[in-house]
Amino acid sequence: MQHTLSMKLTSGLGEMGEMDEKIRLSHGDGGVETQRLIKNVFYQHFNDPLSKSMPDSFVFEARQNQLAYTTDSFVVKPIFFRGGDIGKLAICGTINDLATAGATPLFLSASFIIEEGFSIEKLHLIVKSMSDICRQTGAKIATGDTKVVERGSADGLFINTSGIGIVSEYYKPSQVEPGDEIIVTGGIGEHGASILLDRYDLGIETDLESDCAPMCFLINGLGENLKHVKLMKDPTRGGIATALNEIAAEQKLDLELDERTIPVKSEVQAIGDMLGIDPLYLACEGRMLIVVEKGCGEKVLHHIKALDCCREARIIGQFTSGHHGMIYMKTLIGGRRIIPILEGQMLPRIC
Amino acid sequence: MNDNKIIERLNRSFEYLSGQSIRIMEVCGTHTRAILKSGIRYILPKEVLLLSGPGCPVCVTPESYIDIAISISDIKDVILVTFGDMMRVKGTYNSLSDKKAQGSKITVVYSPEDVLNIAVNNRDKLVVFAAAGFETTAPLIAVTVKLARSRGLDNLFFLTALKRIEPVIRFILQDERNKINAMICPGHVASIIGAEHFRFITEEFGIPAVVCGFESQDIAAGICLLLEQLTGKRRVEFMNLYKRCVSSTGNAIAQRMIYEVFDTADGDWRGIGTIRNSALVLNDKYEQLDAAKRFEIKTEQYSSAVNCLCSEILLGLKLPKECSLFGSVCTPEHPTGPCMVSAEGACAAYFKYETYFRFGGDGRNG
Repeated sequence: MQHTLSMKLTSGLGEMGEMDEKIRLSHGDGGVETQRLIKNVFYQHFNDPLSKSMPDSFVFEARQNQLAYTTDSFVVKPIFFRGGDIGKLAICGTINDLATAGATPLFLSASFIIEEGFSIEKLHLIVKSMSDICRQTGAKIATGDTKVVERGSADGLFINTSGIGIVSEYYKPSQVEPGDEIIVTGGIGEHGASILLDRYDLGIETDLESDCAPMCFLINGLGENLKHVKLMKDPTRGGIATALNEIAAEQKLDLELDERTIPVKSEVQAIGDMLGIDPLYLACEGRMLIVVEKGCGEKVLHHIKALDCCREARIIGQFTSGHHGMIYMKTLIGGRRIIPILEGQMLPRIC
Repeated sequence: MNDNKIIERLNRSFEYLSGQSIRIMEVCGTHTRAILKSGIRYILPKEVLLLSGPGCPVCVTPESYIDIAISISDIKDVILVTFGDMMRVKGTYNSLSDKKAQGSKITVVYSPEDVLNIAVNNRDKLVVFAAAGFETTAPLIAVTVKLARSRGLDNLFFLTALKRIEPVIRFILQDERNKINAMICPGHVASIIGAEHFRFITEEFGIPAVVCGFESQDIAAGICLLLEQLTGKRRVEFMNLYKRCVSSTGNAIAQRMIYEVFDTADGDWRGIGTIRNSALVLNDKYEQLDAAKRFEIKTEQYSSAVNCLCSEILLGLKLPKECSLFGSVCTPEHPTGPCMVSAEGACAAYFKYETYFRFGGDGRNG
């Protein structure tokens, strides 16, 4: 599978005809070469008048609505993985953080820390996938920055993005109560499993791809039904187990999952079994956990499943009356076990 | 049988128990983990105890072996290579993880193929592969040894702690203290050496035994059939319920690999001691690849005094919750004994999937 990827890259290089061009320290010194890099790479893809005037700060009119503001840094290894790359991840990650607040993205910033010697052609591919997601979602890159560090001071490329979004008037997060239902918007662990496949040559042939995708469509898709939503969280590092443990601890409520209802692709399960990793702990980058008020689960689920990105959405459990902040799971054979917080390091640098 | 039918039948088998206490040992660490993960203990009646056996390679690797690996990693120009779960097991004083943090050249690999690549890419260094495991791991190590020889990799050496499962099962069944009534045989080892290899449990020791798989329903079916035998509902016999992976004679190629490269020898088991013919060591043909011989390290077994119950747990005498250190001093983050180190160690599995230690219950009530 890594072969397919490198072939894609190579053919990309061929088309652009600049086989050997690498990032040099001078690309980051603020001089002529920096300007050239910004013009030839970033402006070419972020084809937006906003980002071309190059002010030190971007100025915009604040509207009446509530605004959400977030930031995230991305250091994924490998930089290109099945179903995406660090650029796609950096835009989706920030858009998804905004979505957890019920917000659709307005403006994003994008800052690059590039290791000397990084391929400019790879940078093109990465910046292009960032701009593709911006086009799909209507998010605009309003400002950015580029730094180049000496060889060995960074691992290829790190990206930071921040974002400002408009919060839906219908979304009013509130206290979670026993009986409230939990929805996951699609199959779990596909990003984490994909990274594992690309990181360690496991010799598995599969079409599995990262689920990396922008979740802002959920906000408009739910529209007025957001009023039934009490809380949203994107289950990235540590997967749904970690995200749900955080929610349970914060809300001081127990919750019970039903193993039969949790959507896990058989490939993800198989990779997890091979490496001894439970898919519940594998990262998602295009999924949302949604806590819905008691009795409204099916109704909200119906609207979620109508969205292209959420066809596999399921109700996976509900909060119970216990106050230990623990997660239990009803197992396939009717047994019961806890879903603990992850101990120790499972996977380095997956996002 | 579908899942619901298995569960129905398992529930029915509980009714035959009439208060008798049943002690079933699962030998293999992967089974321990699968059992805890399946939540099956929650539906078993109190009379039925599942005891974890000595089938987690990390848990039975002696301190002396870790100490030797550490001393080899201290040698100039040596790269020590090992599987990840070996890193956190303590020797007398330190773990390989501690040594790595102090700057020793220790690399974690995911497959033996990685080891060959490291040796190829570091011809000016001596690469030592510290490999522990049972008959499931041994064929892979054997192939690596043979490839090292055929590719002329004269900088690759092996520090093995490979073990055979049969002698330790005999050792446990001969120990009357543990009162084991039935056994769940290790499914993975059986896939290599063959299901028939475990028939002796029933024939020599007169107790029911099953080879079963690792899915929840496999384990439920295994326990169900053992209970039916133990309560007189069916005759006592040895059964292979894992025929989709395990044949009666096993994997002939893997067996040949093992016996082309290894001889049997007496083996040291952490917390248990020396068991006759329980180890696989490089044979005469490959002894030049033996790291202990290459570096002239004297191997002797010793145990450090840790006041935890790992040894009793491995022998089926105690459950993790009976250890005073469990969950307080000894946790997966700061393991005292080896059963807490590996994800397949009994203590780590109990800690992860059951809650009684946190809320004072016994796990069945959640």
